[in-house]
Amino acid sequence: MKKSKKSSSVSGQKKAKKSVSEKGNLNVERSRLKRQVSDLGKNRNHLRDTVHQQADELKIKNGQIKKWADKERLAEEQIYIRTKAMDSTADGIFIIDAQKKDFPIIYYNQSFQTMTGYAKKDILGRNYFLLYGADADPRIAKEIKNTLRQEKSFYGEMLNFRKNGEKYWNYLRIAPVRDASGVVTHYVGIQTDVTLMRQRDFEIKEQREELLHVTRVGKLSEFVSSLAHEISQPLTAILSYAQAAQRILAGPPTEQAERELQLQEILQYIVNDDQRASEVIRRLRALLKKSDPEFISIDMNALISETVVLMTTDVTVRNKVIKTELHSKLPIIRGDRIQLQQVLLNLISNSLDAMESNDESRELVIRAFRKGPKTIMVEVKDSGCGIPAQNMKKLFKHFFTSKPDGLGMGLSISRSIIEAHGGQLEAKNNPDGGATFYFTLPVVLSKSKGKRIPNDQS
Amino acid sequence: MTSRKPIIYVIDDDVSIGRALSLLLKAHDFTVETFTRPADFLAFKHPKTTCCLILDLRLPQMNGLVLQETMASQGLTIPIIFISGHGNIPKSVKAMKGGAVDFLPKPFTDKELLDAIDRAITKNKMQNKEQSEIAKIKRRIKTLSPRELEVFRLVASGMLSKQIAYKRGTALQTIKVHRARVMKKMQAKTVTELIHFAQKAGLISSK
Repeated sequence: MKKSKKSSSVSGQKKAKKSVSEKGNLNVERSRLKRQVSDLGKNRNHLRDTVHQQADELKIKNGQIKKWADKERLAEEQIYIRTKAMDSTADGIFIIDAQKKDFPIIYYNQSFQTMTGYAKKDILGRNYFLLYGADADPRIAKEIKNTLRQEKSFYGEMLNFRKNGEKYWNYLRIAPVRDASGVVTHYVGIQTDVTLMRQRDFEIKEQREELLHVTRVGKLSEFVSSLAHEISQPLTAILSYAQAAQRILAGPPTEQAERELQLQEILQYIVNDDQRASEVIRRLRALLKKSDPEFISIDMNALISETVVLMTTDVTVRNKVIKTELHSKLPIIRGDRIQLQQVLLNLISNSLDAMESNDESRELVIRAFRKGPKTIMVEVKDSGCGIPAQNMKKLFKHFFTSKPDGLGMGLSISRSIIEAHGGQLEAKNNPDGGATFYFTLPVVLSKSKGKRIPNDQS
Repeated sequence: MTSRKPIIYVIDDDVSIGRALSLLLKAHDFTVETFTRPADFLAFKHPKTTCCLILDLRLPQMNGLVLQETMASQGLTIPIIFISGHGNIPKSVKAMKGGAVDFLPKPFTDKELLDAIDRAITKNKMQNKEQSEIAKIKRRIKTLSPRELEVFRLVASGMLSKQIAYKRGTALQTIKVHRARVMKKMQAKTVTELIHFAQKAGLISSK
């Protein structure tokens, strides 16, 4: 403005005409520039908004991408943990493709590889039967195949072989895996090495047998003193007979015929007593014999009588009497002679112990009779001190004993023997004092039931 | 009395053992009586002869140790040889303390048995000798007058004649006469022997 004032004063009228037109041009120019400036401002605002908008959109997209990444990482993590978990378990796990012929293995875990002993190339794509060793039971392999063909689950135990030929017991479970439409696409298999468990079972079984033997021998040691007595009696007599004979031969000559007669008589006595000693030893051997249970037909009456004879010395020494009431038409049963005799010996010796302290109670009664169409019953009834109520429940438990030097095994083993024979062993107090132990035995034992004793707890 | 054969009693519930021992001992010139039950033995009338008893430790009804006690309480002094098929130490100790001569575990040889019998019979002879001696002394004591018996007691307890006279308020001479009579009736040669008789007869304690 200052500039335009100065020019007007210098150029006058002419200048004035000219300045009017120049003035109009400037105004146009100014307003154009103004518009341009305003347009620029508008544009800038628009741009700014757009940038902001786009930045926001980018932010959202970025967040989404982040979420996706998180998800993916999580999924990866889960797969990793699952794989790790599968590899950490001691059970062997494998997955079979059910839609391919031959059922190839498409996944397996670490334990499966360890258990079977094969390398990766031997497992993947191979049929799993190949992995169980050539000597594995073909019947079980066939059973597995058939079960799977019917799209069912299989479980069972089989003896398998590692690649190096080592045996192991495999507890195998295979189950079908179905897709959304219910079609079996895969099978998942889990297998456990149960060799140790099997071994432990076997050891427990062995220990039981051992224990049975020990208690039998233990029982025997209770009889040892009376058995020693039984053997030394005939030996003493034999020695004295023989030395009497020597003396007679060395002594003053009597009449020949008389002397011969006397010596003959003595020799006969020696023979008798020798047989007596042999009989004791024979019975001793039968008791000591450790053998697998053997089921044979048994006449219970005869077994009872023989057992009573075995106890005679002990009974006499203790100043007691055994009475037997044996039903004459007792049916034959099947069982293990030695085991059943052990039960009888046990019950009789318990009863004698119960009557030990009381001189008044002397009588022990053994009864055998028919309980029902398919059962016989044997009772051992004493007139001893009876069973205190608090002991009644514990009576048949392992290691329960009321005797100062007892093992606490007799009754529990007796019960397991009787149960293994398909019978029952119980105890009760008599109304008139003393206790009665009684057991039942089935008259007819089916073969399958009594094959292995006493381990058929299945 | 002693000229007769010694009697060996055998108690064993085992008939064969009784018979065998009987044959053996008879071959060795003993008289043998066998029993299977202690009651029969106790009821038996025992002749006054040297004897001993072979007894099984374990017997029905009454065991050997109970019989040993019963015999002692009945004054039946017969040496016992225990025999047993069980080498039961505590019982054998008890038997020996109860006066058993021997304890033989079955089976035993004839020598072991005969040696034991030998000891038992020697013991029985001594027992019998002792008993007959005591009986003899007791018979002699019975011949003493009350005054003589009193003097006997006092002399046996160690008092001098003077002390007795002083205590009794009697003349010394009188006591001396009594004392001489006691010596004569008791057939004692010395005062020591007299004291010995008094001990055996139980007039004074042997301490």
